[in-house]
Amino acid sequence: MSRSVGIRFLVLFAAISLTGSVAARQPYESTYEPRPAESVLIRGATVLTGTGNRLDNADVHLSGGLIMAVGVDLPIDNARVVDAEGRWLTPGIIDVHSHLGNYPAPGIASTSDGNEMTGPNASHVWAEHSVWPQDPQFPLALAGGVTTLQILPGSGNLFGGRGVTLKNVPAVTVQDMKFPGAKQSLKMACGENPKMSYGPRNQKPATRMGNIAGFRAAWAKARHALDKEEARVAKAEAAEENGEDSDSDEPDVPPARDLGVETLVGVLKGEIMVHNHCYRADEMAWMMDVAAEFGYRITAFHHAVESYKIADRLAEAEICSAMWADWWGFKLEAFDTVTQNVALVDQAGACAIVHSDSATGIQHLNQEAAKAMAAARRQGMAVDEARAISWITLNAARALEIDDRTGSIEVGKAADVVLWSGNPFSVYTRADQVYVDGFPYYDRQAGKRPVTDFELEQTVSGGGE
Amino acid sequence: MRYHLIAIATLLHVAPVDSASAADGRGIAITGAQIYTLSEAGRIENGVLLVRDGRIEAVSAELSVPEGYEVIDAAGRIVTPGLIESYSSLGLVEISGERTTVDSAVAEYPSGASFDVRYALNPAAVALAVNRRDGVTRAVTVPRPGNDPFAGWGALIRLGGEPMLVQPELGMFAAVGAAVSAYVGGSRAAVIQRVRRGLTLAASYNPNRYQPGPGDFSHQDLAALRRFRNSDAPLVVGVDRANEIREVVSLADDFDLDLIVVGGAEAWQEADLLARRSVAVVVNVLANLPSSYERLGARHDNATLLQAAGVRVLLTAAESQNARKIRQMAGNAVAHGMPWEAALAAMTREAATAWGMEKGAGTLSEGAPADLVIWTGDPLELTEWAEAVMIDGAWQDMSSRQTRLFDRYEDPADPDRAYR
Repeated sequence: MSRSVGIRFLVLFAAISLTGSVAARQPYESTYEPRPAESVLIRGATVLTGTGNRLDNADVHLSGGLIMAVGVDLPIDNARVVDAEGRWLTPGIIDVHSHLGNYPAPGIASTSDGNEMTGPNASHVWAEHSVWPQDPQFPLALAGGVTTLQILPGSGNLFGGRGVTLKNVPAVTVQDMKFPGAKQSLKMACGENPKMSYGPRNQKPATRMGNIAGFRAAWAKARHALDKEEARVAKAEAAEENGEDSDSDEPDVPPARDLGVETLVGVLKGEIMVHNHCYRADEMAWMMDVAAEFGYRITAFHHAVESYKIADRLAEAEICSAMWADWWGFKLEAFDTVTQNVALVDQAGACAIVHSDSATGIQHLNQEAAKAMAAARRQGMAVDEARAISWITLNAARALEIDDRTGSIEVGKAADVVLWSGNPFSVYTRADQVYVDGFPYYDRQAGKRPVTDFELEQTVSGGGE
Repeated sequence: MRYHLIAIATLLHVAPVDSASAADGRGIAITGAQIYTLSEAGRIENGVLLVRDGRIEAVSAELSVPEGYEVIDAAGRIVTPGLIESYSSLGLVEISGERTTVDSAVAEYPSGASFDVRYALNPAAVALAVNRRDGVTRAVTVPRPGNDPFAGWGALIRLGGEPMLVQPELGMFAAVGAAVSAYVGGSRAAVIQRVRRGLTLAASYNPNRYQPGPGDFSHQDLAALRRFRNSDAPLVVGVDRANEIREVVSLADDFDLDLIVVGGAEAWQEADLLARRSVAVVVNVLANLPSSYERLGARHDNATLLQAAGVRVLLTAAESQNARKIRQMAGNAVAHGMPWEAALAAMTREAATAWGMEKGAGTLSEGAPADLVIWTGDPLELTEWAEAVMIDGAWQDMSSRQTRLFDRYEDPADPDRAYR
């Protein structure tokens, strides 16, 4: 499939402006560089791999930013040895739904940058352009073991804009946090939020049927734009093959860019994921129909409070559900919570994720997973820690399409790991060390944690960690 | 409905039960459990706890079960007093985003101190059973800050049994700081001044002489404040910033009021002062974010530091529908250094004491109201749960709207779920 005109332009622009640079960085791309990390051997840990396995008294060797070996009695070589006896090691925690940096702390109007509520289709905006890297909430999430997180625009719009996947590392620019190569997402929202944001202003949409009509109209426009562009490119290519000169009177100028349409076209071409805020089962079913009509894939439903009602269908459609353990009741579409939602979705063979959508909850996603696990056990469902950890690691990586690089403790994966003081499903357990690409950005015993510029002389750094 | 634990099956012949059993005079004996009495008796291993007429009749390791008592074998289990949530909207809010179901504040009408939540308490609120089955037996349900710095009267409720209202006029609730400063023109100073003025005017309030000017206290608000000043009820103030906590303590001193601080993000900075003046603090342990310019000093171990300094710490889950998260608050307090028994006390005995509940409430001691929970294990661990809950001697139904939904959808292919 041909690349978009926009991208072609960008490549050309970059090549010209960055004189002579061959692998020129394209604008907006990640500038993240892993920090050089020493070789580390974590010895004697209880390892939850994220793939469903539990290894007792295991060693994990981190080197060159990667997990080099997992086993028993691994040779030390020249590695720094971390004695992990009695401690547990898990993949780095991944939160697929966060607004850190978009709604930073303190929560004041001048930095409230998460929801472009000027019209229900904000597919032209990118959440990353609102992220404030000095948000003191980032290091707090790190202290909770979070190594990767997706920042999404808010849910007041039908199309909230593009989300971005970040590494949770201290940085001055957002580009320095962007997960290299990770796809952007398109945030969509069904249900109460869009219609109640605009209806009272006497704008579209005012109803749930208005929501669906708004989605379809935008997708129809994007599909048309893509069809037209493909036809134009095919025609030009055919002309070139036939040796025909382009019509000199009408130079082949691509149509004016429409940033919103570009986002939706990116989805139709499979270059951008869809992450869809949707609580109710019936509305998820409609969204699946919209996706089928226009030929795009929904990667995950977020806040999917009623996924348990259609877990089998979600499994069949290979759509992830990002859920809370027990939050409920704050609006009618969040009223049918069952605390077994996560486990029921998992049991049905669908991709189950525990997400936060909260600067507080992101700090203890392990506890949220523990509650979801316990709720299932209470009803007689068999769920163990080795399984439940995948809800906040590998399954989350799947939903961000970075599971080939992170989300599990397997040889060759990025050394994104958390060393916990004990069983991470115990409320008393805390993260001791957090590694991103093998670099220990957080070490509780050593008193090592990032401190944002904002915090200097203002806060208790680390919230009393 | 199915139960996977043999133990719950043994409990069950009593549990969902006939909650009249205790009221009809038949005694109940809980045996074999590890009992945290929260009293001088401390922890009792393999204890026997007797309940009769809605009260704890006796608790000891040396008791024999009297004739005719129903025996609950709770071997391997932990028994604690019922949990008390110290700052909630239970019974006042069904769906927090749906205004027609929210009765916890008056936001568009200038009513302050005279607002009284008791008249809106709804015993049919779905959230009661949801939280009760996780061990919450009582809650302080409060007026939320509306316009005026004075929010009104809060109440003590129970999550099972009729009537749900246990004690009205539990405290006079107020808030200071930026959230309410708009009402008085935008300055925190003006908020403190208004609170002081209200308390001053109330002392000499005479309905025949008082003539309120624009924006001044109404007759009914001053009458309420006068009633408050003549009562033993505490002033309960939502306040976070350290300097404002000092102002509020000073104000309470000047008017000779018992004070309870809610929130208190920076209370740890004033821990010695609060301990010296016997001010209790209601803490949301997980609220460690510098989420406003009043909370820049927020930290995870706020409750821990306060407790260590001798301050009476109480806990809130800070979510109307999720008082059940109070266990998570206690567990995290322990994770951040608070002694385990102090964390348990913060949601039982200490709460009962601070809120002026009857003697023995919040403990499992002779004569105390029989509010208790039988847990599968450590109640602070999120991987354990409540197997049985008793309020005033009556076993509580352990189902809720959420368990009913689970029963409907446990089998994804059930064609008859609409009939379940």
